[in-house]
Amino acid sequence: MKLGAVGVLTGWGAGLSALPADARAAAGDRPVVELAAPALVGERFRRATRECRLGVAAVTELLQRAGLARDAIRGPDTGILYATAGAYGASNRAFIEAAAGSREGRGALHFPYTAPSAVPAEVAIEFGLTGPYITLIGGATATLDALWQAERLLAEAACRRVLVLAVETFAECAELYRRGRWLVERPLVEAAVCALMLSGEPPLTVRPATRPEALERLARQRAGETLACAPLIQMALAQELGEDASDLTGVWRGRRTALTAWREAGPGRRTGEVVCAAVAPTAR
Amino acid sequence: MSLTGGRQRPDPIVVVSAGVVTPVGSDLDAFWSGLVTGSDGISMIERFPVADLRVGRGGEIKKLPLPGGGAEAGCRASLLLEAAAGDLLAHVTLLAAPERTAVVLGTALGGVDELDRALADDPSLRRAANGFYDSPAQALARRLGARGPLLTVSTACASGATALGLAADLLRDGRADLVVAGGYDVLCRFVMRGFDALRSLTRERVRPFDRRRSGLLLGEAAALVLLAREADAPAPRLGRLLGHASTSDGAHIAAPDPGGRGLEAAIRGAMAQAGVSADEIDFVSAHGTGTTLNDPIETAVLKRVLGRRARAIPVNSIKGGLGHTMGAAATLEAIMCLLASRHGVLPPTLGLEEPDPECDLDYVPRQARPARPRVSLSTSAGFGGCNAALVLEGVTS
Repeated sequence: MKLGAVGVLTGWGAGLSALPADARAAAGDRPVVELAAPALVGERFRRATRECRLGVAAVTELLQRAGLARDAIRGPDTGILYATAGAYGASNRAFIEAAAGSREGRGALHFPYTAPSAVPAEVAIEFGLTGPYITLIGGATATLDALWQAERLLAEAACRRVLVLAVETFAECAELYRRGRWLVERPLVEAAVCALMLSGEPPLTVRPATRPEALERLARQRAGETLACAPLIQMALAQELGEDASDLTGVWRGRRTALTAWREAGPGRRTGEVVCAAVAPTAR
Repeated sequence: MSLTGGRQRPDPIVVVSAGVVTPVGSDLDAFWSGLVTGSDGISMIERFPVADLRVGRGGEIKKLPLPGGGAEAGCRASLLLEAAAGDLLAHVTLLAAPERTAVVLGTALGGVDELDRALADDPSLRRAANGFYDSPAQALARRLGARGPLLTVSTACASGATALGLAADLLRDGRADLVVAGGYDVLCRFVMRGFDALRSLTRERVRPFDRRRSGLLLGEAAALVLLAREADAPAPRLGRLLGHASTSDGAHIAAPDPGGRGLEAAIRGAMAQAGVSADEIDFVSAHGTGTTLNDPIETAVLKRVLGRRARAIPVNSIKGGLGHTMGAAATLEAIMCLLASRHGVLPPTLGLEEPDPECDLDYVPRQARPARPRVSLSTSAGFGGCNAALVLEGVTS
């Protein structure tokens, strides 16, 4: 499997260039570095939650970065695999509080948006994606599992490309995250990241890991705690740096996973190099 | 892997055994007996207030098969899973190393009931952490001592099918030697309010494929299967998972695509992976929610996929007696397919009395029917245009 491109939006701004050298220092005493919801036009987006709009914005950022038209991903040949640890928290909380009478106007139209799968659903509707479709819940390890599943789908020719999308929002549930300081590090940085994966060698290997590899440490240092978005930020960093990418690693609730994906020993390539595919719109 | 027409087809995965807790039976035998005899698991909900809702009935499990019925303060989703795991482990032993034993669960609601309590009256750290949708899976893995891959899938009401598919993939890729997989969801005010607001719940009874159908009722359940590769699977076995696929409608956030294209793609994908043609399908477990929209769309899709044999293949929906158990539904229906093969009986579609002319397949109305399907197709769909299909092979001898 090859990495086509990565679209990165974080509380620090768009793209890797917006990331500070030291997220902890840059955050100061802010527990959450918020990512503003993009202004999207249309009746559907009037109802869509912030996390849904962030998902759409991440795919738009990816397409711009890859130089792809929207039609290039439309149809059954594009799969979407979505990972999040808690981006459903805001919509769930809003619905619960509306039921308790402490908020207004959350009813029939809002309920479908409480499902975690509302995010990839909105993306699928917006971009016309009708291929394989899975939502995994968890932090970085869920995203590594999504990348593993992407490779399976591509190897089985279930589709020709896969969008691996992760979104994390924290602001609406900040005090709940404060209760769980043992679970997440600081600063919590909201993010929406999407990677375009294409078929190609070499295959992935997923295995348990005992420690964070360099890319995980770098992503955490520069972006902060982004939970499910972290592995995709690692990929973007490796691609930008043009450096050998050792294993992608991630941890969630005491389980650490490594994904060895980007090794290709061939002419002009070093073992461990990130394989960056040329991306071209598909004629369909 | 095996080669079919130049393309590699994944090897089948063995379903070794199963364990359940449902509104019609608190273990596998009782569940099957309830399905075949037409038990109605729908009742007034007693566990939380429903007086302010249009509809206060559902498939509520009145007593959990746990010591003390399950502590009232505990996470109910975890308690349901513990009960289903207890049933599973009564049939089979987990013989793989802990680090080679995986858990893959599907859910539409995760621990949202716990989030509700964390926001309302419980400031504890534990309650807040339980609000994550993957918390019940974490708890089940601890209960089983499983330290291999741990995945929570949330493709709305198709979750229980997607989970089985991912579990099979873990085995095929050698990431685990055994997988405990399945689905669960609980009845709670959160989901009852949501469906009530959508006017999706019927005030009458659930009537899949009936012309008088007026909506669904929700239920709660947990369903688990133990999966293994052919070479590792102990006997006796329940059957095999031959193929699976999950697709997106890309059409609407809450309603199914009127053309059913996503569901059709999922079915065709699962059949292709299984290497099974329409001629080989003996039985269909339909999503069959009993809503105005779902049933004719699903019927039309089945006609397109099954072609000239569509009217000859029995189709049922077990949601009339259980309610729609959301994340558990697809796993329960997969288990039902395999039990039908084992016992040579197809459970009836409860509530179907006056067939809708638009729904003109053989839906096994009124009472169970003797038949021993070898290959079954199970279909699922959910909010956001999630679709999933499974192709299963039962043990018929």
